[in-house]
Amino acid sequence: MSAFTIWPEDVAWRPVSPKLLWLELISLAIAVLWIVVPSLVVWLFWPSWVPPAVGATAVVVGVVRAALLPRVIRSWGYAERADDLLVRHGRIVHRLSIVPYGRMQFVDVTAGPIERAFGLATVQMHTAAAASNARVPGLDPQEAARLRDRLTALGHAHAEGL
Amino acid sequence: MTAPDAARPEPPPLPSAPPVSGAGPQPRQRLHPLTPLLRSFRMIALAVAAISWQGYSNLGTRRWLLAVAAILVVTLVGSAVSWLTTGYHIVDQELRSYEGLLNRRTRAIPLARLQSVEVVRSALARLCGLAELRLEVVGGAKTEAPLAFLTVGQATALRAQLLAAASAARGAPAAAVDTEVDADVAPVEERLLHRVSNRDLVISQLLRPQWWFVPVAAIMPILFFAADGSISFVGLASTLTAVVGVLVAPVRTVLGDWGFTAAMDADGLRIRRGALETRSQTVPVGRVQAVTVTWPWLWRSRGWVRVKMDIAGSTVSAEESERTGTLLPVGTVPAARELIAETLPGFELTSVSIALAPRRARWLSPVAYKILGYGRTEHAFVVQQGVITRELTAVSLARVQSVRVRQGPLERRLGLASVFVDLAGGRSVAAWHRDVNEARELANDLAAQARTARAAHP
Repeated sequence: MSAFTIWPEDVAWRPVSPKLLWLELISLAIAVLWIVVPSLVVWLFWPSWVPPAVGATAVVVGVVRAALLPRVIRSWGYAERADDLLVRHGRIVHRLSIVPYGRMQFVDVTAGPIERAFGLATVQMHTAAAASNARVPGLDPQEAARLRDRLTALGHAHAEGL
Repeated sequence: MTAPDAARPEPPPLPSAPPVSGAGPQPRQRLHPLTPLLRSFRMIALAVAAISWQGYSNLGTRRWLLAVAAILVVTLVGSAVSWLTTGYHIVDQELRSYEGLLNRRTRAIPLARLQSVEVVRSALARLCGLAELRLEVVGGAKTEAPLAFLTVGQATALRAQLLAAASAARGAPAAAVDTEVDADVAPVEERLLHRVSNRDLVISQLLRPQWWFVPVAAIMPILFFAADGSISFVGLASTLTAVVGVLVAPVRTVLGDWGFTAAMDADGLRIRRGALETRSQTVPVGRVQAVTVTWPWLWRSRGWVRVKMDIAGSTVSAEESERTGTLLPVGTVPAARELIAETLPGFELTSVSIALAPRRARWLSPVAYKILGYGRTEHAFVVQQGVITRELTAVSLARVQSVRVRQGPLERRLGLASVFVDLAGGRSVAAWHRDVNEARELANDLAAQARTARAAHP
């Protein structure tokens, strides 16, 4: 990584499951189809260059995004420090969240239908600030449960008001 | 309380029971019997106006009277039913409120989560000697559970009781609770911090850019008249509407902040204001999470600033928050400094030094890079921004929820990054475009500093 990175290197980053890539590819394909199919339907009734152009743009954007996805997935990471949870992600815009355990209000573990098919889950730690954004996708269910239990335990140990 | 003694403005029966938990459940209290009438007053007036407008001539006086009587009877019966089914009481450390006959709703508000209690008196309520109590709760999206209406004495006593119970529930020292219980009987000892002169208030609101619109609006119809030789009613009316619409904000501020006083009492910061609708708001000092000082461009010649505060939990609608959070509607920097020192203890407005963004940030913010900056004190994180309207926001480190760092592709090119500090209720402040290493250190330091600040002031 370049010298300009905002992500600290002196902590033990844990990666997310590589299976997240397939999940993200499927969601991306669905999103692209949501644009391509209607634009083809519209084209049947309105023979103009506009609908195919919209569809083609969607496909191109989808392909570019798909090509970037492996690196995006690798950019996800989380680290449990003594007093806070670090979450990093983003390939184009780099993001880092530092969320103290003491500020945790509750922890969500969610698994959508596609996530379940891949055996993955998402853990999200909520604080009173909506912007905190401590969300970690693509975790094995055991790891998700472990992280949740650990966060809850740490949250109790550090419990504070607002 | 029951209907007969509600008519007399006597001290309420509440303070007799100790407000601290363990006293056993209190009986359920009712709101003032005039409540439903006051609430539906507008509806009744509208309905009557509608019939009169539509069919006074068609109906004839007798049938018109009958219709009005019918409306009154229906609303009165509805009011009586809703009054009978609405109530509240304090159980353990919760305020419970009940309402509705068909759609029953019970709401329990844990007093430990109570942020501030406000006594609001609309013009109509003042005529009847009544008041409304608004409670603000942590994480609540809006002002929750308004208790409307109570007699003024009842409202004040309940306010004191709720605040006392709230600080007891939070584990405040017992001595503080005792003084607050006494305060129910004796008038509260308070220390006046600042009073805003109404003259300054009016001048400050005249110095808002909205007024520049007035001459333009006055000239427009004249120009049209000169061009057309005639003037249309619609044109005139729409100009008038636009003028009124633009001027509502400053006029409302003048009325809302009329006679603004800030005082400190045992419960916290007490703010009173309002010409038509008087409001008295109490903010427990520890609940202020940020203070924003604004220097509007037109006020600079007078050296005036405006100060707002962010209270954890009071994230009301945009318009409402503009008023609920005012700490100083207009005042000099020394006055602002004094008030802020009381609300964010340990923060000196004039002594904070601001580190500006590096010069290469001009590629991202060509004008604002000279202003963007941040500063740090032991208890606060300070952020400066705004070219025309300069703004300084001080965040209490003990109230920081999380810290984030963000780096866009251009920022990465330039070796910059931005640091965000998140507060409860969706507010974030940012130190934009800092050097990467500085940003990393800043984020780490802020997280650590916030931790020690929290440990010191839980």
